[in-house]
Amino acid sequence: MTRKQRRLTMIGGALAVLAVAAALILNAMRDSIVFFSTPSMAAEKQIPVGKRFRLGGLVQPGSLKKGDNLVVNFSIADGSANLPVSYKGILPDLFREGQGVVAEGALDAAGTFRADTVLAKHDETYMPKEVADALKKQGHWKDDYGNKPAQGASK
Amino acid sequence: MNPWFVFALMTVAAVFAVLWPLGRRYQSLAGGTEASVYRDQLAEIDRDLAGGLIGAAEAEQARIEISRRLLAATGAETGPVAQPTTRLRRVIAIVALVGLPLAGLAIYLPLGSPQLGDFPLAARSQAPDGKEPLVNLVAQVEAHLEKNPTDGRGWTVLAPVLARLGRSDDAVRAWRNAIAYGGDSSERRADLGEALIAAAGGVVTGEAKGEFERALALNADEVKASYFLGLAAEQDGRTGDAASIWKAMLAKAPPDAPWRGLVQAALSRVGVVAPALSDDTMAAAREMTETDRNAMVRGMVDRLAARLKQNGDDVEGWLRLVRAYLVMGEREKAVTARADARQAVANDADRLRQLNEGLKNLGLDG
Amino acid sequence: MIAEAGHYALVLALGLALIQSVAPIVGARRGDIALMEMARSTALAQLLFVGASFTLLTAAHVTSDFSVVNVFENSHSAKPLLYKITGVWGNHEGSMLLWVAILALFGALVAAFGTNLPLSLRAHVLAVQAWVAAAFYLFILFTSNPFARIAQPPIEGRDLNPILQDIGLAVHPPMLYLGYVGFSISFSFAVAALLEGRIDAAWARWVRPWTLVAWIFLTLGIAMGSYWAYYELGWGGWWFWDPVENASLMPWLAGTALLHSALVMEKRNALKVWTILLSILTFSLSLLGTFLVRSGVLTSVHSFATDPARGVFILLILCIFIGGSLSLYALRAPQLKQGGLFAPISREGALVLNNLFLTTACATVFIGTLYPLALEVLTGEKISVGAPFFNLTFGPLFVPLLLAVPFGPLLAWKRGDLLAAAQRLTAAGIVALIAIALMWAWLRGGPVLAPLAIGLAVFVIAGAISDIAERTGLFRMPLPVSLRRARGLPRSAWGSAFAHAGLGVALIGIVCETTWNSEYIATMKPGQVARIAGYELKLEGLTQRQGPNYRETLAQFSVGLDGEKLPAMTPSKRSFTTRGMSTTEAALLTRGASQLYISLGDASADGGIAIRAYYKPLVLLIWWGPVLMAFGGLLSLSDRRLRVGAPKPARAARRLQAAE
Repeated sequence: MTRKQRRLTMIGGALAVLAVAAALILNAMRDSIVFFSTPSMAAEKQIPVGKRFRLGGLVQPGSLKKGDNLVVNFSIADGSANLPVSYKGILPDLFREGQGVVAEGALDAAGTFRADTVLAKHDETYMPKEVADALKKQGHWKDDYGNKPAQGASK
Repeated sequence: MNPWFVFALMTVAAVFAVLWPLGRRYQSLAGGTEASVYRDQLAEIDRDLAGGLIGAAEAEQARIEISRRLLAATGAETGPVAQPTTRLRRVIAIVALVGLPLAGLAIYLPLGSPQLGDFPLAARSQAPDGKEPLVNLVAQVEAHLEKNPTDGRGWTVLAPVLARLGRSDDAVRAWRNAIAYGGDSSERRADLGEALIAAAGGVVTGEAKGEFERALALNADEVKASYFLGLAAEQDGRTGDAASIWKAMLAKAPPDAPWRGLVQAALSRVGVVAPALSDDTMAAAREMTETDRNAMVRGMVDRLAARLKQNGDDVEGWLRLVRAYLVMGEREKAVTARADARQAVANDADRLRQLNEGLKNLGLDG
Repeated sequence: MIAEAGHYALVLALGLALIQSVAPIVGARRGDIALMEMARSTALAQLLFVGASFTLLTAAHVTSDFSVVNVFENSHSAKPLLYKITGVWGNHEGSMLLWVAILALFGALVAAFGTNLPLSLRAHVLAVQAWVAAAFYLFILFTSNPFARIAQPPIEGRDLNPILQDIGLAVHPPMLYLGYVGFSISFSFAVAALLEGRIDAAWARWVRPWTLVAWIFLTLGIAMGSYWAYYELGWGGWWFWDPVENASLMPWLAGTALLHSALVMEKRNALKVWTILLSILTFSLSLLGTFLVRSGVLTSVHSFATDPARGVFILLILCIFIGGSLSLYALRAPQLKQGGLFAPISREGALVLNNLFLTTACATVFIGTLYPLALEVLTGEKISVGAPFFNLTFGPLFVPLLLAVPFGPLLAWKRGDLLAAAQRLTAAGIVALIAIALMWAWLRGGPVLAPLAIGLAVFVIAGAISDIAERTGLFRMPLPVSLRRARGLPRSAWGSAFAHAGLGVALIGIVCETTWNSEYIATMKPGQVARIAGYELKLEGLTQRQGPNYRETLAQFSVGLDGEKLPAMTPSKRSFTTRGMSTTEAALLTRGASQLYISLGDASADGGIAIRAYYKPLVLLIWWGPVLMAFGGLLSLSDRRLRVGAPKPARAARRLQAAE
């Protein structure tokens, strides 16, 4: 093979691999991307039953009910709407009422959000970023969520 | 050490690092050249061929290929010629000598705080800010103990201070913890009893009495326990018993014992209807202002110091004094007291050892 | 004074870096040896000052000097000494200081051991190294100063984030940084080569070992981080495709590609331009990783920093260095001499294929990590790209790569014989097929993909073994001869065999863990028994314990398997009073390469406690694999022979050694 042919083979091979990769990425983008939404956005958008998304907001104080076999029911609220959530399993260490959380799952026919993951893997002093942004947008942002404790203020 | 002195030393080191290469003579080009890499590779092929790692045909081909590159490399070799550029070097030297310190200061001064010393925790907990009120210090110690409830030494430091502040119930708890985690002693039992009395408004309760008896069981010469047992007898109306206890104390006491006066006063009281002694004192303590309280604590410490000046055998007493000075933030006095204590017990190896151990626990050894 | 001296030392290091970034280059242009030599003394002095700065910050942490903001915010007087020390880099400012300290270390190593480098190349390399260093000194001093002070020192510190108080985290970041920052050397070499306009043989000879060092550390760092997440986060996951993890995976993929292409360049003087580009890209991805983690654009477990000023500053550094080096590349690369020729079917060809797949896989991770950020910036829509995306893209790209791995070492340089290589791999292929058949028979209609993946892994391992067998003549020659040949085999041959086998080992672990992992979640009361994968876990009781800076609930489990009594397991939950946070300490029971895993949830009002128990078959292989890879890297690093690969006379070479 001449130098040119060799180079062409290589470039051709590279393009083929890249094309495959692009196809894989596009395919994966269609199927496995999960959107984030707050309860009011969920109500607005009419998300179909069974479509996976991430639901973020604050755990409504007083809504947490622990059932048998680690079934947990609570509501996620964002100030203007709230959505009942049902989850089975162990809640993360930082989960508590009034705290920002993100749950991943889908709506069932009864309009309850069936979560299979609940994330609250954040320091108490700040919220999950997506939740903070969403709350800010809706004007429910309390400054003290975002602030780290003031510098050197204690004692 | 003065920080500026350290900064100056560091700057000199940095300037030196820049000037050092300028001051050296360079005979020839240091560093490898391309040709040397190829020569290494050729030598390695020979070695491997000799070791039987590669076949002769492969070695030959590799050798040809490398030789070809070697030829090309030697042809193209035009390394830098060693030609000092004096003017440039001078510029760099000036930059290093003047620019480096100036730039260093220009950046450091707005950002740094050269006037601030170190505040390592160890130093601060022993020599707290003089302005800090005693109450705050107590709060800190309490916070610390909340997290480390098994710190016997901490409880031992805290308990007498609480007692002096009039927080009798807390003092009782503190002494109990001090005994539980810091070890039992007649002194601590007696102090616990005293705190119990204060908590009970001056009445020697059965509980307090039990503590004094335990203290005496540990050390029959425990002065405080004996005195309060006498007081207990007096309060029970057994004035005779009280008198005999106190008399026994005075009989055993050295002539210059600081508490002599107190016991004599108590003795003279016996037979007359005796009010509960510490009632008024404690009530007064509760109404005191902070300054007064500090003054009261200081008074107590001063009395302790005076007592120890007269009778230096009491190792626990010395330690208590040192500790009190540390808590009050008077480190210098603590150091002086340490020296006095060592002098006082210097003749008694046992006591000296005990003293040094105690000082070590207080972080004031050496 | 300790903190102030550290602060001033850092300022001086900046000053030295500025001089180092100009003087040697001017010297190289003018042919002034003294100015070129200056690069060495300043690089060494930089290490001295940054090292001092780091040591003094550590001293402030150890003595709990809360007048230093950084100590106040991340330490606590009651914290155990070990975590006082590791807390130095458990926070943004301190970890950046560690970053530059390691950068200075690498610079000083080049200065100290680079005596056989051409002088002007060394001057250029160290100058480029100083540019990077100066940028990060400025970043630290002006946006993340670890030496900021409080005039009225608080009595007590805020304590380190409890999940970071762990031995895994003591070692993970330094390892990772040694990897990230180690790639700065190949970057500096690449930029130096572009500046000089030529790449000589010393270039490749130097770049490969440095890349290897960085790669070894990065491999171990990633593995350690993954194991830390596995046992500390309490839900048994070991890889989350979290952006922060991806940030370390991308340089690893690019670095692995670089390692292989540098091999081609070293042996065959080919792929020069590509290797230069990869060097730049690898370090750019390291910088990107630093940016993602340090700027706070992502909020995840690792992002302790959330401050826009920092983000903008790092972004600026990122743009200048990546943009600058790539422009320089575009400008200068065409002038570089092209290297040697080779046929598509050859060792070089195989390595090109490896590069192709690795960089493409790296690109998919890049897209999956940055697409959500880009989308949010452009449309405001928030999406999350998680494991499914990467399984669908990254996975398929790795399959052909793994299939090709055993072929590479068996092909000759320049012009190879695929058929011959395939023949030598027959044994490996048969072993793999048997493995697949056995798995099928054993599972009888279980998951379809798992046996195939195991077969692939077995193929990779068997391929590595047959490569060694082939070279030593094992089974074909008398044993003593093979042994002698095995001893004489270049260490790099052993190294690549170990590294490739490690890949297969890790794959087996990954497949077994994800496919046959059993889980048991329930609320248990003392006396109750949980059964999982044949094991009986009996909750004996719950106790409380006071740690140095936390309170802990421990659950005692007795473990039995078929009546046999195994060591007890005591998972615990710690609550840290200072931060009001709690952490889960999972209990692990290792059986061979498999593990039983118990972690605790909340206690319920009626005296029970939620538990999560897992049986994870062969899970440890996931980390043994990378350890094996790093060991292979180490072997290869100890092999200092450098030779130009000779083409093998087509088939006759069977009995002869390939010139490795």
